[in-house]
Amino acid sequence: MSDPIYCDQAATSFPKPAAVIEAVHEALSGHSASPGRSAHRYSLSASRIVFEAREVIAELMGQEDSDRVSFGLNVTQALNTALLGFLRPGDHVLTTSMEHNSVMRPLTWLAESRRIEVEAVPVPARDPVDPREFRSRLRKNTRLAVVNHASNVTGVIAPIREIKAALDGVPLLVDAAQTAGVLSLAPVLDSADILAFTGHKSLLGPTGTGGLWVRPGLEVEPLVRGGTGSRSEREEQPGFMPDALEAGTPNTHGLAGLAAGVRWILETGLDRIRAHELDLTRRFLDGLAGMDGPTWYGPESADFRVAVVSINLAGWSPSDLALALDREFGIMTRAGLHCAPRAHRGIGTFPTGTVRFSFGWFNTAGEVDRVLAAVDELARRSV
Amino acid sequence: MPSPPAETFVFILPSIHHVLRGEKLLKKAGLDFDLIPVPKEVNPDCGMAIETGPDDLERVRAALNGAGLSIEAFYRRRGKVFDLLD
Repeated sequence: MSDPIYCDQAATSFPKPAAVIEAVHEALSGHSASPGRSAHRYSLSASRIVFEAREVIAELMGQEDSDRVSFGLNVTQALNTALLGFLRPGDHVLTTSMEHNSVMRPLTWLAESRRIEVEAVPVPARDPVDPREFRSRLRKNTRLAVVNHASNVTGVIAPIREIKAALDGVPLLVDAAQTAGVLSLAPVLDSADILAFTGHKSLLGPTGTGGLWVRPGLEVEPLVRGGTGSRSEREEQPGFMPDALEAGTPNTHGLAGLAAGVRWILETGLDRIRAHELDLTRRFLDGLAGMDGPTWYGPESADFRVAVVSINLAGWSPSDLALALDREFGIMTRAGLHCAPRAHRGIGTFPTGTVRFSFGWFNTAGEVDRVLAAVDELARRSV
Repeated sequence: MPSPPAETFVFILPSIHHVLRGEKLLKKAGLDFDLIPVPKEVNPDCGMAIETGPDDLERVRAALNGAGLSIEAFYRRRGKVFDLLD
């Protein structure tokens, strides 16, 4: 078998830039102790790691002030913080049929236990969501809309600016799990009131890193309370950002890697990264279009999606197809429902799901061609 | 007769994040300052504070205020004596 091909970038990015590995190694082997807790030199160097990570994330987001960026474990924790920390009993919340369980599970729990009303706007199988669908569902008690910037199932990109315009001032929470590090977040933050991100996907950092940006003036209650190194004389959680949402010792070593990943992205250029991923996606979609057997989901044009393509192949179950791709061709994909059952219902692939191919900067056109050849070979075998 | 202790000024900010933001902009402005542990005589925080001498005091103060950094407290320090200033 020739070299393996990693096509599961939407789950976590691989490989990471060498600078990320070096930064984590340096943080672990260098002089970094507990950040923000003590005042000795090793503590200060750890504090600087966390601070620099916050600053570079703010730069990527086009924000001058990094105070509003709080770090956590991942986008799921960030989304839970935002949803549980903002919604109150009796609130109505709008979301879409494309959301991941990182949104749908906390919302379902809130609906069952906190009298939150949840309404999902349907997303067409081949098009982005229509912003007018939000406007027509607004109620007096609509307090939040939650939208993923791009779907982890079809890759479809949501028109954030238009959605915000349709919301008539209702705050908008954006799940940027699939877009941070690929699409520019600066224009998104012109519309979003809260944005959740993860560090280990397109931001190219280690797992265990992620966070939340909260618009100045908006308050989100913390999910976790505890030591912050600040206001130590008080037994109440500080109310100011970022400390309000950052109880407990952070993942300093992971944040060192995340900062290196984001710096790498800024140096490489978001436009270049997006252009490369679009090229790979177009190449893959064009290749699939020339074959008998594959059905693929989501927008016809790659312009409306990130580098995520879900397919099914006649005669193959998703799990058998993913297994054959891995075992026989060394091609790593993800089969099933991708933790987004509602999205699969929307595109008609529930409960068996699809095989998802997702590409990143480190994938090549040659790899896409090899993937296409493998899919073609398996398509012929099933007939 | 020993000389009187040197006079310095100590800025208490909400947390280490704000102190490091202050450090970044004061360095950029080429001002003279130091990061010190928050003096426990005036504040029980675990973190750090910004200390400067009389020469750069007003420039440091203006830079911190100009960046929107919230100064929680501001002290004149003479040895172990801290006077809270406005």
